[in-house]
Amino acid sequence: MQTRRNFLTLAAAQALLGAENDLPHFAPKAKRVIYLFMYGGPSQIDLFDHKPRLAELHGSDLPASIRQGQRLTAMTATQTRFPVAQSIYKFARHGQSGATISELLPHTARIADKLCFVRSLHTEQINHDPGITFLQTGFQLAGRPSIGAWLSYGLGSENKDLPAYVVMASAGSKLGDQPLADRVWGSGFLPSSYQGVKFRSAADPVLHLSNPAGFDRDMRRHFLDGLGEMNRDQQSVTGDPEIAARISQYEMAYRMQMSVPELTDLSTEPASVLERYGPDVKKPGSFAFHCLLARRMAERGVRFVQLFHRGWDQHRTLPTALPVQCAATDQPSAALVQDLAERGMLEDTLVVWGGEFGRTVYCQGPLTATEYGRDHHPRCFTMWLAGGGIRPGITHGATDDFSYNITEDPVHVHDLHATILHCLGIDHTRLTFKFQGRHYRLTDVHGNVVKKIVS
Amino acid sequence: MVHPKSLAALSFFAASLLAQPPQFNRDIRPILSDRCLSCHGQDAANKGIRLRLDKEEFAKGDLGGGRRAIVPGNPESSLMLQRIQSPNRALRMPPAHTGTTVSSQELALLDGWIRAGAEWQKHWSFLPPQKSAVPPGRNAIDYFVQERLEKVGLSPSPAADRRTLLRRVSLDLTGLPPTPEEAQEFLADMSSDAWSRVVNRLLASPRYAERMAIRWLDASRYADTNGYQTDADRIMWRWRDWVLDAFRRNMPFDQFTREQIAGDLLPGATTAQRIATGFSRNHRGNSEGGIVPEEYLLEYAADRVETMSTVFLGLTVGCARCHNHKYDPITQKEYYQLIAYFNNIGEPGRYLKYGNSPPMVAAPTPAQEAKLRSLRDQAEAVKRGFDELEPVTAAAQAQWEKKLQPGLQWWPSEQMTAELFQKPLVFTADKPVDAGASAEFGFQDRFTLAFRIKTSSGNGTILHRMADDEASPTGYGLHLENGKIQAHFAVRRLDDAILLESQRTLEKDRWHHIAITYDGSRYASGIQLFVDGEPWQWTVQLDALNQDFRKSGSLILGAGGGWPDAFRGELSSFRAYSRVLSAADVAMLAVPESLDQIARIPLPRRTAAQRENLRQAYYELGASREMRAARTARFAKAAELEAFEQTIPTVMVMRERPEATPTFVLQRGAYDRPGEKVGRGVPAILSTTSAPDRLTLANWLVDRSNPLTARVMVNRVWQMAFGVGLVKTTEDFGAQGDWPSHPELLDWLAVDFMENGWDLHHLWKTILQSRTYQQSSSVTAELREKDPENRLLARGPRFRLPAEMVRDQALFASGLLVETIGGPSVKPYQPAGLWSENGGADYKRDNGDGLYRRSLYTFWRRTSPPPFMATFDSALRESCSVREGRTNTPLQALHLMNDVQFLEAARVLAQRSLREGGAGKEERMRRMFALVLGRDPREAEIRSLHAMLIYASDRFRSQPEAALSYLHQGDAPLVETESPADLAAWSTVASMILNLDAAVTKE
Repeated sequence: MQTRRNFLTLAAAQALLGAENDLPHFAPKAKRVIYLFMYGGPSQIDLFDHKPRLAELHGSDLPASIRQGQRLTAMTATQTRFPVAQSIYKFARHGQSGATISELLPHTARIADKLCFVRSLHTEQINHDPGITFLQTGFQLAGRPSIGAWLSYGLGSENKDLPAYVVMASAGSKLGDQPLADRVWGSGFLPSSYQGVKFRSAADPVLHLSNPAGFDRDMRRHFLDGLGEMNRDQQSVTGDPEIAARISQYEMAYRMQMSVPELTDLSTEPASVLERYGPDVKKPGSFAFHCLLARRMAERGVRFVQLFHRGWDQHRTLPTALPVQCAATDQPSAALVQDLAERGMLEDTLVVWGGEFGRTVYCQGPLTATEYGRDHHPRCFTMWLAGGGIRPGITHGATDDFSYNITEDPVHVHDLHATILHCLGIDHTRLTFKFQGRHYRLTDVHGNVVKKIVS
Repeated sequence: MVHPKSLAALSFFAASLLAQPPQFNRDIRPILSDRCLSCHGQDAANKGIRLRLDKEEFAKGDLGGGRRAIVPGNPESSLMLQRIQSPNRALRMPPAHTGTTVSSQELALLDGWIRAGAEWQKHWSFLPPQKSAVPPGRNAIDYFVQERLEKVGLSPSPAADRRTLLRRVSLDLTGLPPTPEEAQEFLADMSSDAWSRVVNRLLASPRYAERMAIRWLDASRYADTNGYQTDADRIMWRWRDWVLDAFRRNMPFDQFTREQIAGDLLPGATTAQRIATGFSRNHRGNSEGGIVPEEYLLEYAADRVETMSTVFLGLTVGCARCHNHKYDPITQKEYYQLIAYFNNIGEPGRYLKYGNSPPMVAAPTPAQEAKLRSLRDQAEAVKRGFDELEPVTAAAQAQWEKKLQPGLQWWPSEQMTAELFQKPLVFTADKPVDAGASAEFGFQDRFTLAFRIKTSSGNGTILHRMADDEASPTGYGLHLENGKIQAHFAVRRLDDAILLESQRTLEKDRWHHIAITYDGSRYASGIQLFVDGEPWQWTVQLDALNQDFRKSGSLILGAGGGWPDAFRGELSSFRAYSRVLSAADVAMLAVPESLDQIARIPLPRRTAAQRENLRQAYYELGASREMRAARTARFAKAAELEAFEQTIPTVMVMRERPEATPTFVLQRGAYDRPGEKVGRGVPAILSTTSAPDRLTLANWLVDRSNPLTARVMVNRVWQMAFGVGLVKTTEDFGAQGDWPSHPELLDWLAVDFMENGWDLHHLWKTILQSRTYQQSSSVTAELREKDPENRLLARGPRFRLPAEMVRDQALFASGLLVETIGGPSVKPYQPAGLWSENGGADYKRDNGDGLYRRSLYTFWRRTSPPPFMATFDSALRESCSVREGRTNTPLQALHLMNDVQFLEAARVLAQRSLREGGAGKEERMRRMFALVLGRDPREAEIRSLHAMLIYASDRFRSQPEAALSYLHQGDAPLVETESPADLAAWSTVASMILNLDAAVTKE
């Protein structure tokens, strides 16, 4: 939703700065992104990063040689022991690629060959709020633009009736539910027109989308016609081109009143598709519902769709809560990838799945045969990517026997960002915005494209 | 959705700059700064780069072999130009990997500048502002603006018409449009000082303070919540009201600055001056369980430095946190010298999840202040009454002591809520004892628990109100571990608890009296332990209580609470109080002897506690009725006073610790990598005078020698009036900031501001009196093309209203606005679910007045800000924000058309216009226009409104139910009407007017 006024100021700024954001910088592989954010920190040890040796070490203390005196959250810093907890879930290799995946994710396992697993993600943040802010903006404190805002600013929208950046959030298991903040999809120091627009499960998917009761679309048309006349009259008096921009924004609002309900109306989806996403797909606000909407948005050219699913913070009672999380997300995530693939859209749609950090191998709280919990772990975690620009069917990076330290191909959050931008034809060092005298980037002054995973 | 990548031609504004000979500060520094200094700046040596271009002596110095980057007068020999133009990609500057280039236009500037002698200048904003001469009789603003316009062959626009001017100035000074009556009055007033009188009237209005305050709240990142994770409420509105009060009284800006930065350090600081320092506590506070406190202590201090330097100095000093500033002459060491002013208030690194975190002060409202005074006077009076009776008691008490009943004991009973086990309870089995529903307390209650105990094992659960859950007990409990007393106030023992253990051990098989007091502060420091009347020290094992530990159910003794072992021994005389007993109270309570036993001890051998116990017992039991009544009254009044004090809002403030916190340069800005130790000081480029504490820092900020503060503030006021500052980058006056559009004017205004006692009214009057301000904002095609942003000021300002004005205007024009000043923040309409979707409880909107207050008072939740404000480009209050943003989106259109607060305002505006506008359609339309736009509608506008009215009337008449639904928007009463269809049609017309571009725009 770029507007004339900031178009003018940006253009003027760019004229003086030497057109620093001449985009795309090279031919993009992906035109759009669907990012499934698993908020809370999914346990890589129980889902992807299988560590068979833990069986024999279960209950013993994490060796100091592994921990290396790394900083811990204040929650376990006072713990006197750090007993290693193996995963109680079975792992198997799947697909031709032989990716190791836990029994909690049977649907994901079935599409393993379409996915690229990165087991060597690492971050600098050990708590949720700074952690998600870091993943979303490349910086741990509030104030910088989110990745979707950067893309919206850099690439604009492909659909004149829908926003470039759409966000949907779903609640997870009560055990491990962290609150979200609007800033996570905010525009930071970019103009606010680049912020994510939240689609809600309420009657109005977009705030105030519907006309008031008793005021139908025909009435709104007359209203806008009259308003347009008066605004044009004002423009003839004042000469201000901003008025024309306002008239066009009102017209876009009118079009959104049609395009959004059409988008969120799943009645045209065949039963076979609905079934694929699982039973929750009929529940507005569920992750499955959002996954299907994400596909529909991708079809309509929304540049960046981001789903947030909460509830992955299993400090305790992991065996109770983690299966609930997986049940809600596994099938829809896999269905989304499969659905995109069958429509030929996976080629130019990048799908990303992951949280803000991983979880510790050592137990937090009571450790019994059936109960354990895990604290936040920033030093390694797993994400998967699929689609446009990403090599399918590979596993990148490795960790030690404890899934504690990375032993191979570390991928920093900045590297992930650089890679996502790369898939979209953007050189991450050249997507900049001048604020407070600095040419800010999503990747700050860091980041390298992970060459081994891009196609 | 226009794509931003296309390039516009170089603007006329910029081109007009290029027409003059190159000048270092205006033309050259921006190129060096932006393209070169990130490598060739003061941090170059750390990158292994020899050439520095940030200082003249380096830039023109010998690089070896007589080679020089800049050779004055000789561009051909200047290495810098050679490298910029090098055909060899590997040698060409700037290097390709930086993604930047030097344009041919910039190259021409560099060339011309070197050819002319390469004269260097100190960065303009670090030089003191000078007041250039203005020809007598000329308005300084008009003089400087017109001088610039003449150079480029433009002339100013004619004056705006008086109606437009009145609306413009009313919005600028009060944030509200004029009333039709005010417009009439101004139009009729043809006297020469009519304008001045309007300006004076508006400046004197309390609305002026509200208008000024909201921008200050943006800059100071004021909010009603803590900002991280759960993002629960805090209470800072008393600071906000201080700001309102300061603007209302037109407090000089230097004093305004001094009190907010260092009010606590002023001699004889008043409560108001302490409240003012809340400015530096408005930053977010993290209460997340797992955080490392040291990390956040640094973040808080960094936020204060960032805010102070942006708001007053217009400098981005935060860039020097990890390394020397790449663009401005501020070193990393100097950054930490600034940190040292702001890291010494003894705050916790982990803030409390709910409410304010220390240090804080009680900040009574004027009404509370009055009641407090009255209660204190009354307390003093009843105490005097008691004291007057006392002299007669000594002899009477001696008489009374002789007749004491054997075995009778006494203890304080005021606010005692439970009393159990007069006979000792003996614990021999592992079975817990259920004492019923007594001593229930929560984390913000003030209470005392006391009892006598005899332990045989030195171990086991004494008592608790907890679940039998080691990890998540939710409650409080006491336990013995090898003779040490453990006190747990815990929701989760791991990360949401205060866990304490006494340093000393209890003797076994001996009776002890134990008392524990808790002051409701949620910190370990608020919990005291007394054994046998003596204070004992705790070892703090965890000090991280966040949530309420209140638990219903029973008080349990002897076992449980998640502890594995049971208590062995005896317990008696359990008492709970809903107040914090004083040490003296506890000492009396601990006295084991009965009254007659004490009485038998010869007076000189009685302990102080025994004497006091006996005396208080006498007052209560033996003294005259009058004496007893006086004593009761004294306690009652003191309790009333204390209870009232608990209701007084607090404000987080700055409170300096006597010893300065050791401060270090932090390598790469990381809290855990200290380097060189530093003291306090301001950056050398700005001042060489010493400023040893926060007060001297504050004085320096507003000292006449400070080159920045006045310029920065004047520029922001200019931004309020013209939409863009004279320096467009209001947040950055450094080398990377924009060159001022009118440098002499900025300086003139800054000096004039200081010379006139930092008087904001004076500054506003200076701006408003200018012809520049009073120009028409209509724009010709030529002007639009030459100067689209109106930086040259050949026309008046025309831009969309800030968020709060859009809403406030609708409330005001309809008559809904409730103009109460200050007080707790309010919760107007907001779609349901916005808060709960992010997690946690949902927003609960107010009823009544809270729906209709000015937007300044809308409750600001940082992680879910008021949607209307966020959609209309308000600052988001997470960190300091001084630039006004303006976008134009369909979401704004949806808000204005469909949001209940605008539909309600439209309906009430229609009701009002029907009531006040007479019977004629056109009169009613004129009334609406006058209320919202302060002018008459044009013929064409009347025609459009009329067409809408006719169409809507027809539709609503044919669908009466639709009319009724459309009218039922909001809580404001619906007038009785014979024709709901007509009212609905008029409401549609009103809604259309509120949606007009002209309505949401200052023209």
